[in-house]
Amino acid sequence: MFLNLDKRKSGDIIAYDSTDSSLSVAQLMAEQEKLAAILEKRSVVFALCNNTIGAMNAYLNTVILDSVPVMLSSKADKELLCNLYEVYTPAYVWMPADDEQFFSGGECVYEAFGYKLIKTENERYDIAPQLQLLMTTSGSTGSPKLVRYKNGNLEANAKNVAKAFGWTAEERPLCDLAMNYTMGLNVVNTHIYAGATVYLTNENIMAAPYWDFIKRYKLTNLTAVPFGYELMLKLRFTRMDLPHLTTLSQGGGKLTDKTFRTLAEFAQQSGKRFIATFGTTETSARMTLLDPETALEKIGSIGKAIPEGELMLMDDDGNIIAEADTEGELVYSGPNVTMGYAVCREDLVKGDEFCGTYHTGDIAKRDEDGCYYITGRKSRFLKMLGYRVSLDQTERLVKDGFGIEAACTGTDDNLNIYITNESLKDEVIKYVCEKTGFYKTLFKVNVIDEIPKNETGKIMYKNLV
Amino acid sequence: MSNKEKYNSIFMSVFSVDESALNEEFTFAAVEAWDSLTHLTLVSELEDGFDVILDTEDILHFGGYCNGMKILEKNGVSFEE
Repeated sequence: MFLNLDKRKSGDIIAYDSTDSSLSVAQLMAEQEKLAAILEKRSVVFALCNNTIGAMNAYLNTVILDSVPVMLSSKADKELLCNLYEVYTPAYVWMPADDEQFFSGGECVYEAFGYKLIKTENERYDIAPQLQLLMTTSGSTGSPKLVRYKNGNLEANAKNVAKAFGWTAEERPLCDLAMNYTMGLNVVNTHIYAGATVYLTNENIMAAPYWDFIKRYKLTNLTAVPFGYELMLKLRFTRMDLPHLTTLSQGGGKLTDKTFRTLAEFAQQSGKRFIATFGTTETSARMTLLDPETALEKIGSIGKAIPEGELMLMDDDGNIIAEADTEGELVYSGPNVTMGYAVCREDLVKGDEFCGTYHTGDIAKRDEDGCYYITGRKSRFLKMLGYRVSLDQTERLVKDGFGIEAACTGTDDNLNIYITNESLKDEVIKYVCEKTGFYKTLFKVNVIDEIPKNETGKIMYKNLV
Repeated sequence: MSNKEKYNSIFMSVFSVDESALNEEFTFAAVEAWDSLTHLTLVSELEDGFDVILDTEDILHFGGYCNGMKILEKNGVSFEE
């Protein structure tokens, strides 16, 4: 069964959440029996997740019962959800029982652990037989683009990442990253695969209940994106008394060298492990990991491929680069590479387009020991707060939202929006914050006389200062 | 500018709200825009503005607009007119 769940004892706890509710293997199986009679196989099911056992039951049982969850946030912008709903016409929607329905019609056919399952008025439709799960690629720049996971992707990644980390059934991991976010789902899957219990929370890292949860359950593993580590360092986390904590791991974007060093030094001095990793939604999360023993010698490195995976660097002509310290596009092959993208319902019948190899769009180099370092990006996207944000999509968001010319550039800390209409400045910021869910300090709107374009009408981003 | 005025102006700028919104009910739990990023921004602005360094417990138990003043008072900032 999915993630070896059938090999566990029935009393085993799969997850706790921060309301101290738990989900055991026996409970999951009992709910599975009920759902089997309700949920028609091979249906597309929207799963509006939060980090509770209700969402965990929804996710696991939808996959086990051979339907296809589209992993979304229960807090996502209503308009974005409506748009996705119209595009993918799901036959069912999982959502928190107390939340107001964002679509009309349908009937509640099941409720458990604070989650309800609504059967919508949409007809089921044909999808590829090997399609297992769908996930968004980015924050929420309004794109209906989903990544198509095939059978075996999640389990291969869970198995190989669990092996690389050396996870056992004794781990007590915190999962505060969203389950509908690739790295959050990876924390869930790797630990369930290892036979451990996952500790889910929606609490905010900057408030006491978050840390009380960690202490109450003596949690051993924390996983955070770079922004999470910045917050933890602001809280002087390295001076907190967390004796049970053994592993700190990072993913979802590049740490500054300074933060990387601080964490590696802290881990060494306190007898813990600091493990840097690299992953993408397209590869079912993680594809590399840096041996914690070498973290201090290899500041900023993403390490080497996980078991069963292979990493390589490619030049512009598609040739594999054999020499050390030469930059090229990072390319990954392995059983966790997904099938490709979907932008509409019809795409869900498509087969495997990646065929086991994913071109990341990241530029990297490799040192003489075979460890990789990300040095830049080939394509126009940023990783803000761990989420992939497309500059082109953000540009389109502003253009379409206001019917004006716009251009976007930026770094992972700051997205610059260029417009020519001074009077819209405040509204544009407000709008992109609403649509993306990011805070205003991450955006800067610059008013310029004209958006620079070349003869063919393409925006000349290099001329934007 | 009095300390109260300075404190209010930091809140107004971080949360993009009018002064009239700042009261007992303006709390971490109640204000949707008050998330980890706005909290980090708020704490950093208050530390810079009042030249204090808040410790972990102060940051975690900041709680809200009114309680925040008590926390700053504990760190030597006076809000008396």
